[in-house]
Amino acid sequence: MSESSEFAEDLHRKILETEAGRDLPRCFACGTCSSGCPVHEQRPEFDPRKIIRSVLMGLESELFDSGVIWLCSTCYTCLERCPQEVGCAQIITELRNAAAADGRAPEAFRMQMEALRQFGRVYEIEDFDNRRRQKMGLAVLDSHANIEPLLTDEREGE
Amino acid sequence: MAANEKGDRGGPRIGVFTCHCGVNISQTVDVEACRDFAAQCPNVVVSQDYKFMCSNTGQELIQRAIEEHSLDRVVVAACSPLMHEPTFRSACEKAGLNRFLFQMANIREQCAWVHDDRQMASAKARALINAAIRRVALQEPLQPYETKINPATLIIGGGIAGIQAALELAEANQPVYLVEREPTIGGKMAVFDKTFPTLDCAACILTPKMVSVSHRESIRLRTMHEVEEVAGHMGNYRVRLRRRQRYVDVDRCTGCGQCISHCPATRIPSSREIIRDGRVMTEVTRDPASGRKVARSFDPTMLHPDASSRSGPEDYSSGVVSDEEISKDLQKFEQPRRGGPSPMQRYLRLVRAQSKMSEEQVERRRTGDCTGCGFCAEICDGLVGATAIRMASIGKDERGKDQMRPFLVSLDACIGCGACATVCPTGFLTIRDRADDKGRIRDFALGNHSAIYLPFPQAVPKVPVIDAESCIHLQLGEGCGVCHNVCEPEAIRFGQQEEIEEIEVGQILVATGYQLFDASSIPQYGHGRLDNVISSLEFEAMLNSTGPTGGHVRMKNGEEPRAIAIIHCVGSRDDNHHRYCSRVCCMCGLKFAHLVKDRTSAEVYQLYIDMRAFGKGYEEFYSRVLEEGVNIIRGKAAEVVEQRFGDMSEGILHVRCEDTLIGKFRDIPVDMVILCNALEPDADTERLGNILGVSRSPDGFFLERHPKLDPVGTVSDGIYLAGACQGPKDIPDTVAQAQAAAARILSTITKGSVMLDPIKATIAHESCSGCRICNSLCPYSAISYDPEESVSTVNVTLCKGCGTCVAACPSGAITGAGFRDDQILAELEGILV
Repeated sequence: MSESSEFAEDLHRKILETEAGRDLPRCFACGTCSSGCPVHEQRPEFDPRKIIRSVLMGLESELFDSGVIWLCSTCYTCLERCPQEVGCAQIITELRNAAAADGRAPEAFRMQMEALRQFGRVYEIEDFDNRRRQKMGLAVLDSHANIEPLLTDEREGE
Repeated sequence: MAANEKGDRGGPRIGVFTCHCGVNISQTVDVEACRDFAAQCPNVVVSQDYKFMCSNTGQELIQRAIEEHSLDRVVVAACSPLMHEPTFRSACEKAGLNRFLFQMANIREQCAWVHDDRQMASAKARALINAAIRRVALQEPLQPYETKINPATLIIGGGIAGIQAALELAEANQPVYLVEREPTIGGKMAVFDKTFPTLDCAACILTPKMVSVSHRESIRLRTMHEVEEVAGHMGNYRVRLRRRQRYVDVDRCTGCGQCISHCPATRIPSSREIIRDGRVMTEVTRDPASGRKVARSFDPTMLHPDASSRSGPEDYSSGVVSDEEISKDLQKFEQPRRGGPSPMQRYLRLVRAQSKMSEEQVERRRTGDCTGCGFCAEICDGLVGATAIRMASIGKDERGKDQMRPFLVSLDACIGCGACATVCPTGFLTIRDRADDKGRIRDFALGNHSAIYLPFPQAVPKVPVIDAESCIHLQLGEGCGVCHNVCEPEAIRFGQQEEIEEIEVGQILVATGYQLFDASSIPQYGHGRLDNVISSLEFEAMLNSTGPTGGHVRMKNGEEPRAIAIIHCVGSRDDNHHRYCSRVCCMCGLKFAHLVKDRTSAEVYQLYIDMRAFGKGYEEFYSRVLEEGVNIIRGKAAEVVEQRFGDMSEGILHVRCEDTLIGKFRDIPVDMVILCNALEPDADTERLGNILGVSRSPDGFFLERHPKLDPVGTVSDGIYLAGACQGPKDIPDTVAQAQAAAARILSTITKGSVMLDPIKATIAHESCSGCRICNSLCPYSAISYDPEESVSTVNVTLCKGCGTCVAACPSGAITGAGFRDDQILAELEGILV
């Protein structure tokens, strides 16, 4: 067995073991998710129904390669309307986590994570931003938001 | 042998028989270990196991053991007593053992099927067997009561299921009470136009049956009745029926329809408006919470310029009806007011004059202009007694005469009856459905629109009913009474009250049907919000030739739709609403598609998840619809979005879906959307189930005794199910089940008597203090007090053996046969030790 197919099988098992993954086989492919999806309307290559079918067939790697999983806006309309309560948006989150863990997150997402780690925000606050804020009567922000306490508090809470 | 030694000691001789149930029990419970455990229990003479204890061989095995070992008690450890207790009791009886010296331990449903851990499940099975052994040792022989079967049958629900069963029983000359909540029998099928897959006209096949019901002497029809209380048991039920007011005497009414054609008031199912000269004068809506009518007005120009105007009731202008048209049949009516004819007489003359006019003449008079005749005000004051409108001058005409027009003098006084519009000879005042009532496309009620109405022309009984919330007399407590005046057989009963009737029957058939899922709880489809999104039953009514559009497919603006989408599975196969498949919608949707193709030139799109055409002739019908060029799209519609351009009276509806077979998103523009709503249990199912002691399955429908082998019976002996009250069902299946139920009922009637469980309470009179606590506690009213002896007595035919009185009796005078304290305690000990 080649290394890549081993990875694929391992991933497939892991995805199906997640909470949303356990509901996945209930999908009867009615297409409610895709037809109500605001992203699908703009980018037809993003088709939640096809993503669910691909995961069920163990084709997660293909999804990674095509990059469609990064198009989801996580609006959760699919879950809201799904007659079988299949958590399509959660599955996509699981796939993203798996892809990121494998170092396959798109560059833009990696940069955003890096920014978050560095500045505590998804982008850096510069003087330009603060001048605009002052004009609107808003408080000046530090260029670095300290998110460390938030993270530790949450961890203690658990 | 050790077993024989035990018996020699003179105690009970118990045989224990443990079943494998194929692998159902043995795969989780160690049956052999259970057998060996039982063998060493006290008083157990023989302990055996067998693969299928319920089979003939298994039963023979028990019988042989009873004879060989002189057993006087038997325990079978197998499935639920509900399943096979009668089987094993009969086996004991055949071997000469009293059938109540038997006890069952349920090691299938309570152990094997609910546990995974073999060791724990086996331990639990042993405890249950131990409990049964200890209990059975203390059981006493009991004799079942024999009771005669009352041949009368109560059928609840007068839809096609109830009608069919009633006719089958009447064919055998057995008495039937057919109880229906609505004013007519016929149920949902009476609304349909065509039935799939043969496209039979529903009325053509239903009406003869309905008429036949009214002709059969052994069928006692009870329309507008509801079942309120049921007491007793198989063979002898006492049922209390409550009759709602029809306000018409069913026995006297001849169905001539004079009342309907004369009634000045308009029935308001949802909302109406009274139009004065093209503008809304009064808006009449029915408050959904209270069911009451509310009249409103928003137009100040409709108000009377001066409440104390000179144009009082005395100022009636005259000259609407020419007196010579009718005269002699008026004499029986009231004294004329101030020498002239009374408003009642003038009203009746008008209606009769109108009925004699040709359509052309009517049309010529409907100029839409007010002649100032003042008949509206006269009727409102003199006939209705509301005095909500009066005439007022809007200025002088060329000849210097006041131009009189009707105005609202008091909105509070207006009861929204619509009599003013009914009498207006020119159409200056009209009443119509509220056009801007969003989503409510039309008034979908069948039948005429007067306050006294016949639900539909083929109604059985053909007796009108008065809608109390629309009737002038019933709202005001006085006035009008036109129907009473014109009714020759004198059948109108304004004073009618609710009535209770007690009947006695032997068996009960529940055929209460279904109700339609309310699609407005799926907001993205827009039912009740968007025009021209309609439910399946609304569309059925539209297709019906006696319906609001006379069978034509029309949008709200009256035009024919150019394209129609039919959405399947609305509320069914949906975890958010109903998980089950409603079974009829696919075929119903295909029938709609065919009828739309047949009657219009519209394009039809079917949006389905899975096409289920499973019945006889159904697949063929599916092929036929495909050949007719209906577009079939595999994909559930996500939403219906309205798009409106400029001054379009109707927006275009965009049905958004994914065609999953080609994986393409589609946005289909249509004029009309038909939803195939789920069938759900009637709202009254829970109440009725509680009254009858019939449980419901998780989907809310009534639960049959066995899904495969007894789909007609219920766990309550003598109560049966037919039709959609047991689960969504099409007409062929409903009729088949109704006939099956009738056969079951007839077989019991033919038998003449049944044996009843002797598990009943008895009161030891020497210990009874006569405190009567038990009298009021008994849920079946089975205990009565004997004042002469100062003791309470149990009526065994009513007692169900529930044990409430046994537990409540402060002096311990009541015992439940087969459930003595020592028996129950022994059973508990057996589980705990």
